[in-house]
Amino acid sequence: MSADARIAAAERALAEHGLYGAAVEVEGHEREIAALRVPEAEWGRMLGPDGVRLADVVKAAGFRYVALDLATDSEN
Amino acid sequence: MVEERKRERLRGVLRECGSVVIGYSGGVDSVFLATVAVQVLGPANVLAVTGKSDSMASWMEDTAREVAEGFGIPWLEVETREMEDPRYAANPSNRCYFCKSELWTRLSDVAQERGLRTVLDGSNADDVGDHRPGAVAATENAVRSPLLEAGLTKAEIRAWSHELGLPTWDQPAAPCLASRLPYGIAVTPERLKQVERAELALRGLGFRDFRVRHHGEVARLEVHPSEIARVAEHRAALLSAVRDAGFRRVLVDLQGYRRGALNEGLVSAQLVQLGSAA
Repeated sequence: MSADARIAAAERALAEHGLYGAAVEVEGHEREIAALRVPEAEWGRMLGPDGVRLADVVKAAGFRYVALDLATDSEN
Repeated sequence: MVEERKRERLRGVLRECGSVVIGYSGGVDSVFLATVAVQVLGPANVLAVTGKSDSMASWMEDTAREVAEGFGIPWLEVETREMEDPRYAANPSNRCYFCKSELWTRLSDVAQERGLRTVLDGSNADDVGDHRPGAVAATENAVRSPLLEAGLTKAEIRAWSHELGLPTWDQPAAPCLASRLPYGIAVTPERLKQVERAELALRGLGFRDFRVRHHGEVARLEVHPSEIARVAEHRAALLSAVRDAGFRRVLVDLQGYRRGALNEGLVSAQLVQLGSAA
């Protein structure tokens, strides 16, 4: 599966689990990390018990690690 | 609770060894082993040796020194030169073999110079089954593992350490800084410094059990699940501090800290497990 296809699959899977507006980017020297940007209102959910479940659905799209970007849009 | 049978077994193994040099990192296991060794064999028959290099975090070195001073453990620091070995610096999946090979060779030399009979490490029963290429180097250098031989688990070592009043009893596991670099990313003093600086910042914010994984320009923070909710509270400070350590992007892993996360990309043929190495 190409990197682009993984991104689309991961974003679709997140939306199916009720997380809308998430953007997935690829990082890592083996392109093994899904870097997620989500609306700030969703941070509590991502860093709570739901985070592991959401990580699993993104990993299923072909990533080894799933991680949340600590920067807000204005800090990038 | 530690069974008396295991306690006696540990004391028995130490008595068999006679006089010992202990690989002493300042972590839970080696501090405990050195303390019990001094109790059983007396300080004249024990030397705890810390291998100092860029891959050792400064706070670990401080702990090693302070505990040795506070608990009457004879202590020596030796420089190790694994960074000069290109096989180590290339960071293959068996990187630990080259580091431990250097360490155990140096400690074997120290033991011989000082007339101490046996070199010991702090491997324990919970390490069996982990990816441990360094165990091969230990075997090659006839290093014994009394905690493993006594069947002591990490929980039992912590409990016994608590009884002994050791400050390390609840210290999180703290392997070398190179363990924060994914295999294939070269180990350099600069990268290790970046990791150490970022981890110092997290410690300063009150986090206890975490890793800063170095993915080139990206830092991927693994924070223990019990602490991960605090990330949101300290988001801006974390971002600023980790960027100051030289990372362009700072990510927080949603699964949190788990032991051996960088081994998740290895296939079984690359895994060397303690218990299968000997």
